[in-house]
Amino acid sequence: MEQAQDAAAISRCGDHAVLLLHGLSSSPLEMRYLARFLHAEGFTVSVPVLEGYSAGTVEGVMEQWVDAAVAEYDKLAAEYTRVSVCGLSIGAALALAVACRRNSLQALVLLSLTLSYDGWAIPWYRFLLNLAYYTPLRHLWRYRESSPYGLRNEALRSKVERAMKRGDISEVGPATISLPALHEAQRLARSVRGQLSFIKNDCLIIHAIDDETSNPRNAQFVARQIGTPFLRTIWLDDSYHMITSDNERETVARGTAIFLRESEAISRGDNSAGLVVSKALARRLRHLSGLAGAKR
Amino acid sequence: MEVKNTRRWVARGPNVWLVAIAALLLAALLRLMLHPLLGPFMPSGAFFIAAALVEYYCGLGPAMLVMVLGLGLADYMFVPPYFQIEVITRRDIMLAVIYPITTLIVIVLIERLRRAQFRAELMALVAQSRYEMILRHDNEQAIVRRTLDETHRLVLHLAQYNKNLILIQALEREAGSSHGAALAGMRLPAPNEIAPGPRFGELDPDELKRFRNGGLAPGHVWVRFKQGDAPPQRIECLCERFTTHAGDFLVLRLGD
Repeated sequence: MEQAQDAAAISRCGDHAVLLLHGLSSSPLEMRYLARFLHAEGFTVSVPVLEGYSAGTVEGVMEQWVDAAVAEYDKLAAEYTRVSVCGLSIGAALALAVACRRNSLQALVLLSLTLSYDGWAIPWYRFLLNLAYYTPLRHLWRYRESSPYGLRNEALRSKVERAMKRGDISEVGPATISLPALHEAQRLARSVRGQLSFIKNDCLIIHAIDDETSNPRNAQFVARQIGTPFLRTIWLDDSYHMITSDNERETVARGTAIFLRESEAISRGDNSAGLVVSKALARRLRHLSGLAGAKR
Repeated sequence: MEVKNTRRWVARGPNVWLVAIAALLLAALLRLMLHPLLGPFMPSGAFFIAAALVEYYCGLGPAMLVMVLGLGLADYMFVPPYFQIEVITRRDIMLAVIYPITTLIVIVLIERLRRAQFRAELMALVAQSRYEMILRHDNEQAIVRRTLDETHRLVLHLAQYNKNLILIQALEREAGSSHGAALAGMRLPAPNEIAPGPRFGELDPDELKRFRNGGLAPGHVWVRFKQGDAPPQRIECLCERFTTHAGDFLVLRLGD
């Protein structure tokens, strides 16, 4: 837990700050690789511990999570010209909630977005947990993470398994999640679903097709519904849910950095950052912008 | 490559089950309306179609539900003697054997096809993402190649026109947006920094001031040179721009 608290920090660098929101009841450790990469690329990075949401804090309701995330965003916005928000799993839903409240944010990056727990590893009786919340079980029972722990990389998975047995948290999240936290996550997802069309910020969605927690339909739904004119989607095929730690974490980090730079350049009206020399890429981008135009 | 999420090709939730129940009731209603015409002929036909359609749109679970309930309804309502469950005839047994087998074969095949279709769609999404990544990578390489070619051209230019060089001016470039400099990890020159050439000393001081204020542009330029006590002389010079990995430069030299 101390390690997780230590990972929460602001690494100052450029005038573009990125607020990184980890997954439910987890810690900034989940975002460590991405945070380091973005910092090395010249971004200021903030990976906060959110009161009521992060591991090690007293569990709160989802309104408290959103308030805490918005407060972190405001802190960065007071200091930096551009602030983007990047979230992992339920953190991505939280990022959407921040975008609903603060439309001035530069860009949204949604990693393994989870609006419903419907991946292949989620048991069919998962819906019973929603009912169990209204029984005394809510205080007694906790959802226990099990293999594959969101990881396709088997070596990393064994390491995480050992860490889960030793303590209550690992670099890919907590060993258990309480029923009230799951219930609040569901409320958060429900609240952002209806507001997607009002979000006009640049948006990058990165999702693994074999995500065991969140089916790719989550990402497809948001891609269809969100109101942004600049949307990019990256699909991964060699990762599970924890894409910031799994086999394709370099792809995730690099894709995020490139997207944030392009979003920044577009808003600045600077064409040199998105310099396109390759004719094939120019054709592809024209095709994509045509698709986006047709969607609008 | 196995994609385990293909098992979840259809959205979960109560909606698919409600659709299945509605399809079952609709099938029963249609068969009932056609009953005066069909009589005991094909008692399970409507339920078979309903199960196949439900499988296509709602998945295996709801389709199985339609099949099982459809069997009961077909036997009870459309196999003589109608609306009686006590009497079991040859027709009942035929229905109980043939209908589940044919329906199961069809819905299992549809399920397999739907899973394969979902897998193909997911793989296509990954392929598109990869294709875009390759294109972006190619683009970056092309930019790097271009800047290297320009650097090479600059070096040749400096060697060829060494005696006629007046000055080299570094142009400002956005630090965060640079492909070349960021990739090469090199420090960018200070904005409008000017390096003197062999003919720099002959330049009129006012001209130097003009160039420092951004008055230099690629192309043919008329430049004033000092002539001792005499008034400055205007000479046609040539200014060229070089976009290298270390930044952008303007090179001013005497014309040919």
